[in-house]
Amino acid sequence: MALTGGDGIGTVYGQDTLPKLFRHVVRERGDKVALREKHLGIWRAITWRQYGERARHVGLGLVALGLRPRDVVSVIADNCPEWLYTDLGTLSVGGVTNGIYTTDSPAQIEYIVNDSGTRFFFAENEEQLDKILAVRGRCPSLVKIVVFDMDGLHGFRDEQVVAFQALLELGARYDREQPDAFDRMVEIARADDLAILVYTSGTTGPSKGAMLSHRNILFQLEYADFLTPPQEGDQQLSFLPLCHVAERTFTVFNPLHTGATVNFAENVDTVPENLREVAPSVFFAVPRIWEKFYSGVALRMRDATPLGKLAYRWAIGVGMRIAERRIRGERPTPWLRLLYRAADFFVLDNVKRSMGLHRARGVATGAAPIAPDLIKWYMALGLEMREVYGQTENCGLATAMPPQRIKLGTVGVARGGTHVKISPQGEILLKGTHVFLGYYKNPGKTAETIVDGWLHTGDVGRLDEHGFLTITDRMKDIIITAGGKNVTPSEIENQLKFSPYISDAVVIGDQRRFLSCLVMIDHETVAQFAQERNVPFTNFASLCRAKEVQDLIWSEIERVNRGLARVETIKKFRLIEQILTPEDDELTPTMKLKRAFVNRKYKDVIDGMYTEV
Amino acid sequence: MSVAEPLLEVSNVETSYGPIIAVRGVSFTVPRGAIVTILGANGAGKTTILKTVSGVMDPQKGTMRLDGREIQGMDPDRVMRLGLSHVPEGREVFPFLTVRENLKMGAYTRADGEGVAEDLAMVYGYFPVLRARADQRAGHLSGGEQQMLAISRALMARPKMMLLDEPSLGLAPKLVTEIFDIIVRINRERGVTVLLVEQNAHMALTIADYGYVLEVGRIVMEDTCARLVEKEDIKEFYLGVKERGIRGARRWKRKKTWR
Repeated sequence: MALTGGDGIGTVYGQDTLPKLFRHVVRERGDKVALREKHLGIWRAITWRQYGERARHVGLGLVALGLRPRDVVSVIADNCPEWLYTDLGTLSVGGVTNGIYTTDSPAQIEYIVNDSGTRFFFAENEEQLDKILAVRGRCPSLVKIVVFDMDGLHGFRDEQVVAFQALLELGARYDREQPDAFDRMVEIARADDLAILVYTSGTTGPSKGAMLSHRNILFQLEYADFLTPPQEGDQQLSFLPLCHVAERTFTVFNPLHTGATVNFAENVDTVPENLREVAPSVFFAVPRIWEKFYSGVALRMRDATPLGKLAYRWAIGVGMRIAERRIRGERPTPWLRLLYRAADFFVLDNVKRSMGLHRARGVATGAAPIAPDLIKWYMALGLEMREVYGQTENCGLATAMPPQRIKLGTVGVARGGTHVKISPQGEILLKGTHVFLGYYKNPGKTAETIVDGWLHTGDVGRLDEHGFLTITDRMKDIIITAGGKNVTPSEIENQLKFSPYISDAVVIGDQRRFLSCLVMIDHETVAQFAQERNVPFTNFASLCRAKEVQDLIWSEIERVNRGLARVETIKKFRLIEQILTPEDDELTPTMKLKRAFVNRKYKDVIDGMYTEV
Repeated sequence: MSVAEPLLEVSNVETSYGPIIAVRGVSFTVPRGAIVTILGANGAGKTTILKTVSGVMDPQKGTMRLDGREIQGMDPDRVMRLGLSHVPEGREVFPFLTVRENLKMGAYTRADGEGVAEDLAMVYGYFPVLRARADQRAGHLSGGEQQMLAISRALMARPKMMLLDEPSLGLAPKLVTEIFDIIVRINRERGVTVLLVEQNAHMALTIADYGYVLEVGRIVMEDTCARLVEKEDIKEFYLGVKERGIRGARRWKRKKTWR
């Protein structure tokens, strides 16, 4: 079984690089709405024409400041239109763009700027500017720093720092003086040239810059409509970090093909509200978000009236029966369909509305493992939830669940033009036009990763006879207990995370007598639990230490244990008694616990579990 | 904290104004003889906590023990008779009564005439200006004098514990120092336990033994005041101490982590 794809060469609308494609769609779409951002509480539209013009002026402004083809431009900003102008503007004049996580520390920024040889640095605001100013003395390649938002910087003068508005004016002047320069520059980039750098968030070692070419990206773009065929007026919401290849593709590149309007969330805290306002037609999120939405509904139902509870249980039951039939590949009976229409009308549609997903024709989850039960729940709501798998090194998508045949627990089948095989060591290997150019200035690592054209993913998995791929774990994460048993921690962790009270968990047990785990609780839900039970607590640590909370988490672990083989059961656990934020080293920017780091940092706590009697 | 049984023990209290929950599951203790402060921004729920403790508002959930007796849901006058006096925000003296009458109102529940006279002398001792103005209407006093009067009125009930709601509100810095000095003296000399709610975090942390930080109706941090003043979040968000930053000016705020 295979998914259909494009022509496999990497062209969209007959264009073979991002600059040409962008120029093409800007001309074609003109005054249609490309982007929308909220300004003083009101959604403001930006047309493709404006998008094109601003990107053009950014590009030419950079040229006026001395940008040469293949120069690296780094951006540190939350998702906003300026990020996109900078991205496509830079690419249009032959430059290379690179995103940096806004949560990165000055030291991390210094590393990336120097590793990538960044010449132009775009900072969102005062806060991000301060970080680069702190380290610029040690960044010899840096030419100029451009600031998007000059609030609070009016009195600030620095030779190296330019306001974004000034850059646009510089570009506009360049454009007036040399009107055909831009079109010449658009032709500079070749399909196989480096287009963007994506620094992998790397749970171990320093991060590496993955090089993606125009062809890599356009090859994926051919496939941008895989979730659902695009329609006029489609809406998307952009809120995951643009430095991540999945969000970058989804927000910046896919709409070049599909023409969907991208709406920017105001900030991370307003995502639920923005989602309800935008009611996107297609929606991509990481499992953490899906888990949060589910917990929200589960908790609200606990506080519902008895009638409400009854209605929800009945409706979700009907939805589950439909979902199960779909999974078995059967069509629902007419009676069941009728029941579902009623369930949807009275209950499920409201649940979807409360999440802002009532208009979603296609939703996807990826970038981290997810519990199959969670997907089933969303399917029961009537959402076309599809799991996708891929990595930075293959520019995002490698496999996806085919709509006509769903096999939960797998990540679906290879996308068009992709070959998947399993190495003798059990590692998943990929081949296709999307396999990246290598790591920036790191031929050693590149040679380890791409061998004979096969991308070594570092993931362990199996393929079934129909081509469905199952991911077991990261190669380096597999636990071998003291008893010699191989355990794949992420399967257990995913089941733990399905609990509304558990935000993340790390299973431990390598070279140990039994398995244990560290748990990060979900602050909101556990606090609510404590209040309902009259459990006194003050701060986060005291909440974690409350006996009732410990018992609650243990009962959640027991629930997961029941489904595990005896050697795989969790015998002990500890809670992480600090609220972690993405600025903390324990978490990746996408809020996943870093296994290696957690193992090191909480070594005493972990050892404690194995020494006590 | 002290090992002795606390004078006030608040456990999981939840109070709301109609559909808006102002205090969501707050627990804290006030040891006998201590000064404990609750810090928090506008609307964090500080005043609501005091009103709930003194009985002006009833909690939806949770228990409160004063000296071992459950007081949740009790009428304010009964709580007051148990030895808890509330000095409300904005002073709320009786403007048309004289200073002396105001003070006598504070002793309204007491029958021991001699004791009342003693206490009257005591508050005049603490605040001599009140003696000088004993026959003036309270409404004619300055803000600082009214605050002194409100504290004195509370003292007239000979409470075990005083709840002080923003005693520094609207007062000149010099007066603030004066009033806080006297609060400490009352605590040390009379053994009155104090629960203090303040926006003037610097003052509150200087005089209190133990502090809680309240944010949107929830306690996010607790520690001895000596340790609280050392915390980065307290320094930046409550004491206004900021690193100057690379440009010598910094407008953005770091994220609160409450560690």
